Amino acid sequence: MASVSVIASKEFSDIIRSKRFIILLSIFALLMIAAVASTYISATQGIAAPTAMPRGFLLSVASNLTSMMAYFAPILGIVLGVDAVSGEREKGTLKMVLAQPVFRDTFINGKFLGTVAAISLAVCIAFLVNVGGSIIALGITPTGDDAARLFLFLIISIIYAVAYYGIAILISTVSKKTTVSVIASIMIWAVFTFILPIIATMVVFSITPIRIQPGQNMTITPELREEIRRRITITETVNMFTPNYHFNRAANNILRAYIGAGFMPEGGATSGRPLQQAIRAVSIIESLAMVWPNILVIALIAVFTLIATYMLFVRQETR
Amino acid sequence: MNYIIETKNLTKIYRSEGKIVKALDNVNLTVERGRIFGLLGPNGAGKTTLMMTLIGLVMPTSGSARVLGFDIIKNSVEIRKRVGVLPEGADFYDHLTAKQNLLYIAALNGINKAEREERVEKVLKIVGLEDAKDRKVGGFSRGMKQRLGIAQALLKDPELLMFDEPTAGLDPEAARTFKNLVLKLRDEGKTIVLSTHLLFEVGPLCDDIAIINRGRIVLHGGVKDLAEKFIAEEGYKIRVQGKGDIGRFANAILNLKDVRNVRVDREYILIEASKDVRAEVSRLASAHGVEIVALELTVPSIEDLFMKYYKWG
Ligand SMILES: Nc1ncnc2c1ncn2[C@@H]1O[C@H](COP(=O)(O)OP(=O)(O)O)[C@@H](O)[C@H]1O
Ligand SMILES: [Mg+2]
Repeated sequence: MASVSVIASKEFSDIIRSKRFIILLSIFALLMIAAVASTYISATQGIAAPTAMPRGFLLSVASNLTSMMAYFAPILGIVLGVDAVSGEREKGTLKMVLAQPVFRDTFINGKFLGTVAAISLAVCIAFLVNVGGSIIALGITPTGDDAARLFLFLIISIIYAVAYYGIAILISTVSKKTTVSVIASIMIWAVFTFILPIIATMVVFSITPIRIQPGQNMTITPELREEIRRRITITETVNMFTPNYHFNRAANNILRAYIGAGFMPEGGATSGRPLQQAIRAVSIIESLAMVWPNILVIALIAVFTLIATYMLFVRQETR
Repeated sequence: MNYIIETKNLTKIYRSEGKIVKALDNVNLTVERGRIFGLLGPNGAGKTTLMMTLIGLVMPTSGSARVLGFDIIKNSVEIRKRVGVLPEGADFYDHLTAKQNLLYIAALNGINKAEREERVEKVLKIVGLEDAKDRKVGGFSRGMKQRLGIAQALLKDPELLMFDEPTAGLDPEAARTFKNLVLKLRDEGKTIVLSTHLLFEVGPLCDDIAIINRGRIVLHGGVKDLAEKFIAEEGYKIRVQGKGDIGRFANAILNLKDVRNVRVDREYILIEASKDVRAEVSRLASAHGVEIVALELTVPSIEDLFMKYYKWG
């Protein structure tokens, strides 16, 4: 009887040899290199970071690493999941495989395993290009704490990509046609990435209309502070429904070893006095304590979509 | 008798989008070992559903069946381990070569690594694809894919083979090659179940047939037996063309023992008999002074038999 490993290893080797995988990985590797180059330029030209935080490896790489991964992981997951089931069904290869002594659950588990391995490989490569490039370009060696944080970030990125893969393969399993699956997946990605954040902003503006008049002195009154807090809460509540929000929050906090809070100087922003800053180091444990719910949400999306795919697929009949 | 396939009131009802289709309606079927068994019927008759049910890929709504002694619901993997199947609409991975596709399927069948290569080479040779084995399947013609499909079914050296619409879309040459291969496999002792809507192309190849229509088996048996029975039912048709006193001659023919019916149409006499009575007719002709111009016998063909049941339902 066919074991899961036969199917998983075929899936893995098919993916890593496929044009779409190689092209996607190449594009993002190039983007990563470009990002590293810009980091290098700003470092060598001594352009100061906009904060007074201690300069270190993480601070230099964190922003482009997270923003790049925020696009790479979902696109990777969708590209590998969108036709995973519907494509084989349409082509007739699913029928060929299931006419062998293969259980449906063996097939789908093998597919999951092979793809998750390929996703992990791709995310690792993209990550290494960026981090390795930065080490070479900046000449800074990450500390042990940096390395631990980067490793955690890598794991979160993989889970994030798998979550999107889960969404895409679930859609692919319920779709009769691959074209439908592609459209649905792209729509969901666009909703999570662009549309919900826009909606969040719109909701904020409709609920709490702007009250600061131009020319008015920008003093932080308790009312204004309250309003800002409300706006943030509303935006976050809307964005909470996207995996993207959870990834960004988790990734940003994991890669941040210092927390800085800015205070308005006496006399307000127009007083001419500098912004006051309080900076303190946070341990990796503290960071984790802050973001574990976000990591959990991403992981749950991954697990639930894969379980749902499994249950639906096992119940389907071969036509 | 120990049949290789045996179904009992096998029924499959599809419900989709509010429509209810009875694809199999109390199918009772037996297939004997070492035979070419044709499952014949028009499109939508239920042939594919029956085949997929027999290998456990479609669950029956009610009824039961055994293939090689294994229950189709409880032991379908055991069945697929032992039965070589070419499902309708099944395809290979385009980006892999013929050989890579077969090696994968061999692995799925649990054929151990040491043996895989040898088996693959062997079946490629049987279907005549040795020269194309390292080419990607994406560039294969329909005929080549069909041969590869048969190679795939032969990988496990199965006792029973099931091919669903194997000649659909093949050119006559390829169809003939296929038929010869099936005959060869039968002579090696394998049982082959073929399904087809191309009655006249595949029908004559079969030892036994079942005609299925709207999910029901309307005819089932050995082709020879069925043909004899059909001829006995339909009778021999003899057409006589003569010169002379046709009316009296026809009356005399009607009095012959095995003649059922006689019709006169100008100088023609049309006779329906349960036997070939041409000799008797000739004798009567000379006795009645009728000169026979033509005497033709038409035996109902197996095609006539198929057509009679095909149109049913
Ligand atoms: N998955 C399905 N859902 C609904 N109806 C189906 C399904 N599969 C087959 N049918 C219907 O069942 C009948 C028999 O189909 P099929 O077994 O494919 O016939 P054949 O192979 O003889 O052409 C047809 O009416 C077909 O439309
Ligand atoms: Mg069919």
